[in-house]
Amino acid sequence: MTLHTARLSIHDICKRYEAANVVDWVSMDIQAGQVVGLIGENGAGKSSLLNILTGVVRPDSGEMRLDGHLYNPRDCADAARKGISRVFQEQALIPNLRVYENLLLSHEARFTRFGQIIEQRRMIEFAQDIADQAGLMIDVRRPTSEYSFSKRQLIEIVRACVIPVRVLGIAQPVILLDEPTASLDRADEETFFKLVAAMRDTASFIFVSHRLSEVLTVSDSIIVMKDGHVVAKLAADDADEKRLHGLMVGRERQADYYHESLQAVAGPRFALQARALGGHGYVGIDLDLHEGEIFGIGGLLDSGKSELGKGLVGVTPPTSGKVCLYEGPWRNPDMRNSLASGVGYIPAERLAEGIILDFPMSWNMSISSGDLFSTRAGIWKDRHEREIAERMIGELNVRGATPSGACGKLSGGNQQKVVLARWLCRSVRILVLDNPTRGVDAGAKEEIYTIMRQLTAQGVAIVLITDELLELIGMSNRIAIMQRGRITALVDAPPTSKPTEVEMVKLMLPTGNVNREERAA
Amino acid sequence: MNTSDVRSDDDAVRPRTSPIDRISASLRTGMWLPVGVVVLLFAFFSIATPSFFSVRNATGILGQASTLLLACLGSSFVVLMGSIDLSVGAIVLLVGSATVIALNLADLGALALVFAILLGTGLGAINGTIFAFGRIPSFVVTLGTLSVFTGAAWQLLEGRALRFDSSVFESLAIGQLIPKVPNIALFALVAWAIMAWVGARTRFGRYMYAIGGGEAVARTAGLPVRRYQIYAFALSGAMAGLAGALATARLGAAGPTLGQDLLLNTLAAIVVGGTSLAGGVGGVHRTLVGVLIIALLDNGLNLMGVNQYTQMVVKGAVVVLAVLISQDRGRQLIIK
Repeated sequence: MTLHTARLSIHDICKRYEAANVVDWVSMDIQAGQVVGLIGENGAGKSSLLNILTGVVRPDSGEMRLDGHLYNPRDCADAARKGISRVFQEQALIPNLRVYENLLLSHEARFTRFGQIIEQRRMIEFAQDIADQAGLMIDVRRPTSEYSFSKRQLIEIVRACVIPVRVLGIAQPVILLDEPTASLDRADEETFFKLVAAMRDTASFIFVSHRLSEVLTVSDSIIVMKDGHVVAKLAADDADEKRLHGLMVGRERQADYYHESLQAVAGPRFALQARALGGHGYVGIDLDLHEGEIFGIGGLLDSGKSELGKGLVGVTPPTSGKVCLYEGPWRNPDMRNSLASGVGYIPAERLAEGIILDFPMSWNMSISSGDLFSTRAGIWKDRHEREIAERMIGELNVRGATPSGACGKLSGGNQQKVVLARWLCRSVRILVLDNPTRGVDAGAKEEIYTIMRQLTAQGVAIVLITDELLELIGMSNRIAIMQRGRITALVDAPPTSKPTEVEMVKLMLPTGNVNREERAA
Repeated sequence: MNTSDVRSDDDAVRPRTSPIDRISASLRTGMWLPVGVVVLLFAFFSIATPSFFSVRNATGILGQASTLLLACLGSSFVVLMGSIDLSVGAIVLLVGSATVIALNLADLGALALVFAILLGTGLGAINGTIFAFGRIPSFVVTLGTLSVFTGAAWQLLEGRALRFDSSVFESLAIGQLIPKVPNIALFALVAWAIMAWVGARTRFGRYMYAIGGGEAVARTAGLPVRRYQIYAFALSGAMAGLAGALATARLGAAGPTLGQDLLLNTLAAIVVGGTSLAGGVGGVHRTLVGVLIIALLDNGLNLMGVNQYTQMVVKGAVVVLAVLISQDRGRQLIIK
């Protein structure tokens, strides 16, 4: 049995949220000293799996064993004590502390006399030794914020890799690396790969990355996830990028589901044009959106596509560039003007930005339409609001909703319909949708697609920003792919010749060399 | 739409609630708890002190409660919006002092009320503008202006109580259009009714709930959040200004201690009435009940001969208790 030899073994792990299985019957064994590459497109369940392994999220069912013993971490710290540590995508260092303080954070007790008096010199020497051995080339006494973003990421990686062995005294820790190289410059990247190579005998790694070439180079074996389950486990020697692309995608796209036959032909008029738009996370964006068109925007999580959506509408106004609505004047987008010109926006983070759960359905619907639901003197038209809310509930089939019922009781899909109603109750002509079907069950998804098709038939123009490849391909007339804040590809997607998922994934993933040079520059 | 659909949909998402959760939830949103407390306090003090249950005492309570109610009405919107206004008492003091000086300079009569409201609005707008554009937590802004306004008022008063001589102005507060009911109580009740209506039936009111319930949602939906934040603080200032003028009219003078007890009392009344410090829950209409509770406590404890220091202890405890009960522990309490 592998159970006796595997360092970490997980068996039939499931995690379900509301509408979808994010982790679905996942099993895998990690041997001591093994580097396992974990790949999959956005939302395949990689991060959720790491969250389960580090105790951030509890699985609904399944079993995890560490050296054959049951392993149920309470939280990240508990997981680290037991030997599983993780490097986060976001920086988790405290910038105003010195490097050594960050490296040994939460382990100060080992460097104290009487439990309180910190022996600073011993800490510094110890931390400097760790840094030198890892090839960091830094002075650990300097404040962390003095080092570059890339260097700080590397410090974090070193902390996750070395502390378990050197401080906690764990033999063979399992280290989870979530996109570790995404923000490393070339020199630091080399240091990183050397570190992994040097630690092979003393640790195991799970390496999550979108850079397939790196995964292929560094891993012993590769696990491919899709829609929450493991679709392939293969030895790195048996794999190449092309094969991995195919494994990551390869779902059956049903033309009916996306009502592709109803895909409207884009009208001649421009609904929205943007030139040289730049802001936090995106730069130099030019785009032309036609009436009746669905313009898809795809890209990895850090591609800047969500930020662009906010910029187009003016939720977060861009810092440079101009937008023109319906061939009118060019201006910097702002939310007031967008509302007045018939532009609507649905954010990706429904609970944080889209809907107030304590509020009645009608309030959530009317929140953007003070102009329609109150008189010039500012008196609210309650009856009018209720009537429109009732009509919207009927038209959009918002199940379980009444105008005065709180939205918290509705399912994700029906909540999203309420957010849609916010824009459909005014005569909206342009809609920017950021992941409109996230956390929405299959039935409601299809209803939302139907509504989108109906809207485009009436000439409404839609920008569809989405992490779901099939939705992107199935719904869009044209697709823009973003990488690192720029549109790097523009693909036509007429119903007769839709691009394939593999083509899309290839366009989204960074192609090693080009990117490296860009970052080095 | 068939019924089985509705059921499956509901079952899938409705969180399972224990009876304790449900009771706590109904305490949080229900009206019966604060009203019950009013009835209990009333009964308790009627039995405990013979002088409590009398027309004369009722008139006294009305007079005391009116200033508090007026001062609370505007800042209830601020709390509803998820912010806090600590400067209410200081605005009452500054506006009261300025009004006395204005009365002594020119024979304004009832026009002094307009002056007071305008001055209060201006002071509140300063709070709101610093808060909305400086992106500083409102408790810091208003803690600062609390000191600024108080200092300015003491400068004006030169540390003394200033009297005024205007029977017209005085009668605004202590005259009795209705026998046994001081006019200040009429002002307070009418103002309360108007503000309750504003909260429930106007765009301003709706936006207050929206900003308090989910500021990010409101922003993303395109509400002019900052502008309405300034409006709310300006309204809080306006009502504090009105309270300051009428309190001065009632007392016949403005002294350095005017409005001193309002810092704790306004917050206490708003929170005890059932408006959540987290924002979005409650409303101005509830503040009336909160004011009654605080006023009854003040009056009853006085009549029972409980000393000032003990009263402070009791009131402080009541506020903390009210927040403990009303707080939704699933949510983080953040005052912006």
